[in-house]
Amino acid sequence: MIKEERSNDILICILEGEININTSPDLRREFERIIRDNQKKVLIDFSNVPYIDSSGLATLIEMLQRLRKIGGSLRLANMSQKVKSVFEITKLAKLFEIADTREKALENF
Amino acid sequence: MIITQALPSRLEKIPEFMAFFLERTRNSTFREEDIFDIRISLEEALVNAIKHGNKFNAALSVDISIEIVADRVTITVKDQGKGFDYTTIPDPTKDANLVKLSGRGVFLIKSLMDKVEFFDCGRTIKMVKFLK
Repeated sequence: MIKEERSNDILICILEGEININTSPDLRREFERIIRDNQKKVLIDFSNVPYIDSSGLATLIEMLQRLRKIGGSLRLANMSQKVKSVFEITKLAKLFEIADTREKALENF
Repeated sequence: MIITQALPSRLEKIPEFMAFFLERTRNSTFREEDIFDIRISLEEALVNAIKHGNKFNAALSVDISIEIVADRVTITVKDQGKGFDYTTIPDPTKDANLVKLSGRGVFLIKSLMDKVEFFDCGRTIKMVKFLK
């Protein structure tokens, strides 16, 4: 469910598929592994995520908090308009750094 | 079209039911945006019914009724739990609640559907989406 790429010290996680109540536990485990590896800069690319629900939002909030605890940071990019609207409605667009493109997210990261 | 289903209280049953429901919207004139909103709202209601209502008790079912007519979709989801006080749900968009890991389901439903009502002490939620 995650393809990984690197840009210097930034780990780019390209999520594949829906993030919902059934897929969130697997995603949480992947994020736990990334934290265990002490990866501090993480960019999540949503270009292949057509759908997210509240359990998916919770998984991302958890990841953000864990990263902040180890002095890291998280950026999100490439969301479809509908997926982005879920972040906007819930005001989570205030909590997360969301960029339109991967390139913009990588700037000054 | 009317769809009725008694769903066992197991989260893994949700994708199967959603696939069944989405298949029935495939040849409709629904806008993709409306289907997205209906889908999130229905899934959030089902998760709430299974998790908070029936507390994962497999002996209890979640009763779903979906009516699709020309200009609207009306969905009713009913659990067999103790109910809850739907008038005191904290606002998840307040700064102090933004980092909380739960409590967004009903808020999303209210935001994405056009009309939302609770009945039977919160055991039943009825939601309507008017199709554009």
